[in-house]
Amino acid sequence: MDLANKVREEVEKGVIGPDEQCEHYPCHFQGQDCSFCYCPLYPCLDPDLGKMVISRKGKEVWSCQDCYYVHRNDVAKDLMAALVLERQVPPDDPTVRKLKADLERAHAKRAQAIMVLGATSGAGKSLITAALCRILSDGGYRVAPFKSQNMSLNSCVTKGGDEIARIQELQARAARAEPIAAMNPILLKPKGNAVSQVIVNGRPYQDMDVQHYYGEFVLGKGLEVIRVAYDELARTNDFVVIEGAGSPAEINLGERDIANMRTAEIANADCILVVNMEWGGAFAYAYGTLKLLPEEHRRRFKGIVLNNMHGDAQCLRPGIEELERRLGIPVLGVVPHIDLTIPMEDSMTIASQCSDEERIRVGVVRLPRISNFTDFEALAIEPGVSIIYVTEPRQLELVEAIILPGTKNTIEDLAWLKEKGLFLAIKQRGGRIPIIGICGGFQMLGAKIIDATGVEGGTPQEVEGLGLLSSVTYFDAYDKRTVQVEGVLLATGERIRGYEIHMGRTESAEKPLLRVSDGKKEYEEGARSADGMVMGTYLHGAFDLPPFRRLLVEKARASPRSLDTELVYQDEVEESLQKLARTVEKAIDLSSVISERKEGV
Amino acid sequence: MRTNRIMLQGISSGCGKSTLVALLCRHFRSLGLKVAPFKAQNLSLNSFVTSEGKEIGISQAFQAWAAGIEPEGAMNPILLKPGGEQGIQVVLEGRPVSNLRSGEELDRKMLLEVVSRSFDVLATRFDLIVIEGAGSPAELNLRGRDIANMRTAEMLDSPVVLVGDIDRGGVFAGIYGTHQLLAEKERARIKGYIINRFRGDGSILGPGISRLSELTGVPCLGVMPMVDLHLPSEDALTIDVSRIASADGDAREVWKQDLDALLAAGQKHLDLDMLRSIAFS
Repeated sequence: MDLANKVREEVEKGVIGPDEQCEHYPCHFQGQDCSFCYCPLYPCLDPDLGKMVISRKGKEVWSCQDCYYVHRNDVAKDLMAALVLERQVPPDDPTVRKLKADLERAHAKRAQAIMVLGATSGAGKSLITAALCRILSDGGYRVAPFKSQNMSLNSCVTKGGDEIARIQELQARAARAEPIAAMNPILLKPKGNAVSQVIVNGRPYQDMDVQHYYGEFVLGKGLEVIRVAYDELARTNDFVVIEGAGSPAEINLGERDIANMRTAEIANADCILVVNMEWGGAFAYAYGTLKLLPEEHRRRFKGIVLNNMHGDAQCLRPGIEELERRLGIPVLGVVPHIDLTIPMEDSMTIASQCSDEERIRVGVVRLPRISNFTDFEALAIEPGVSIIYVTEPRQLELVEAIILPGTKNTIEDLAWLKEKGLFLAIKQRGGRIPIIGICGGFQMLGAKIIDATGVEGGTPQEVEGLGLLSSVTYFDAYDKRTVQVEGVLLATGERIRGYEIHMGRTESAEKPLLRVSDGKKEYEEGARSADGMVMGTYLHGAFDLPPFRRLLVEKARASPRSLDTELVYQDEVEESLQKLARTVEKAIDLSSVISERKEGV
Repeated sequence: MRTNRIMLQGISSGCGKSTLVALLCRHFRSLGLKVAPFKAQNLSLNSFVTSEGKEIGISQAFQAWAAGIEPEGAMNPILLKPGGEQGIQVVLEGRPVSNLRSGEELDRKMLLEVVSRSFDVLATRFDLIVIEGAGSPAELNLRGRDIANMRTAEMLDSPVVLVGDIDRGGVFAGIYGTHQLLAEKERARIKGYIINRFRGDGSILGPGISRLSELTGVPCLGVMPMVDLHLPSEDALTIDVSRIASADGDAREVWKQDLDALLAAGQKHLDLDMLRSIAFS
């Protein structure tokens, strides 16, 4: 028999992967495995995989032209291994049945769908989705992310030349899968005036306004596109982790919201609601979201995830219990806030990945007890200045200036700097890029901090500072200075204004930075190094008026640009994904949404 | 005669209530009223020092400028500044008084007295006080312990308007959930809601607003458009660069200019007459 010989040939060749030379490629799907062009399981007669059709000769024959199963690389690999072990190739009928049953135990014919929905945008769905992708991939499963409709200006291009949202590319990376168009079949790129460019299956489709999109597109073409794309992923993976869009309870959109519950229905997904704890009101958002959904949709929710929690989750207990009681849906866990270097999905932030040579990135060290961070908002008034928060030494590779902000506790945050390795990293940049310390940050720049009575640190101690200035700070009494001041920036003679809120006093040998008056007396304030690259002051609000921020920008522009930022960035992303997956895995109970499918995994 | 008052409470922090308080201060001031902002309790590391050397939340300073007056300590009687192992620094009536260690709580009765005293300091000199809540009034885990929202509203017998940020999405659910999770007598204080930071064509919200008003029994007092502001953010550690257009000069002045754009938007999109009658009820 012809088929038997073909199978014998295929087994001799082994796994060949995608045959891009073949004129029919891809006859099933992009990236398919072509090892079994002739299926050793034919005719399997499995209605999930194929169907009976009438041949040209008028005979009933088994057709598997829509079957993706044996073209999945994981399935092909296992089947090949099993066939090589079989003495008889092609195998007899009972062996075929056994081989197929074994395969199905390890590889679901259709993926299980888990959908992550948010009570708001920015709830952290994207990252929870990425975390689930990585956790499942680590478990040995074949996983794909899916977001039916994404509104974003941050897109990227797949190997196949298709455009998808950047965040789905990131999630694919988390899933260790090749990004493809089906992962984000509808991408809306806002063009202003309520008009978006609609990208369908990775290609520009049409510009539409809101009325056109919701009035005509979504319920016809839109739903169809989603169905086809999801189907492709469902037939080639063990799990599809779906991300919703915005809130599923936009009662003004109703059934025209195809990105949330309509997609959940198509995929028959188990759902999780993610709520951001950082903004407050999380219980009300969770309650309102689930209560506004009709029962048939609410039933899909297996649990709630309280995300991005700062501080101790234990204090939430009474709230969690009341929420569970009132909704009858469990809280699966509380995910702590995680600092990550990962591009965030946010439809409203204009793509800022511009490669403008003139751009200045100012790194604000994200001290655990950072205070008065509004000081830096004024900096962003300067054209081309952007601000990133720095928590890891290598992030300093990305910046052209460093700010050490105010802190509620200088000694503890200085210890944190040392622990993080930031202490050395900042020190090494002294004289190369401008480094500015405000208030507590100013104290850190100095040689020493002497806390003779334990006002700051609890116990009396003497702590080594960065030594970028020679100054010494004394905490000698529980005494807080709160005063408004005005004066001049000595480097330029221009006017400056601000206010002091601090404990401790600082003595410097360097030249002062400012001459100010608090209304009672005039005095010299702050310090600056001889080369002017290190500056410290107690003044908050010092960037409100232009002179000081212009001085900073000028110094930053004159300093050498950083190199190799892309490489540093890629490493950061991989590390962030691991950290994310481990944190989420620890924080939430996934047993109700991930049913074990493989033995021994 | 009793000083008029109105309180804005948010369904989350960062929903723009500070800005709307500033807007109302500006508006009532333009009607010739003497108006002052008030926030009972702030949990923030962003503070401002008044000319008398009192430390208050930075938003109250901006709101005072919006009202055409100088910031003063009484506008924010309780300021809590989370620190390190030293705990939370407690600033009462503009002066640091103690550090609160983890697990310790302040005497709520004493705090409410401080709030009441400061409010009275303002009430004797102003026609109207615009009060700002803190975070969400519906934190189930804080039931009975949160004094900054409904406890203050009850003590000062103030009507309340809820503010929800639509830019984040889920605003209907957020307002509905907040309203539902409040106790009955607290719910009775809510006289309306404002949908804040809307982009786009307001007509698409119609069905949602009708449904929400039907479910809660209170009216929508307006849908405020997104206005690009250079306001300092109080709580959130976010710097939205796109919010800040290229501008020259003094950040405080930039903000004051924005305020006029904000007020113009408020006059167009908010039911300011209704808000006035709620405040004067």
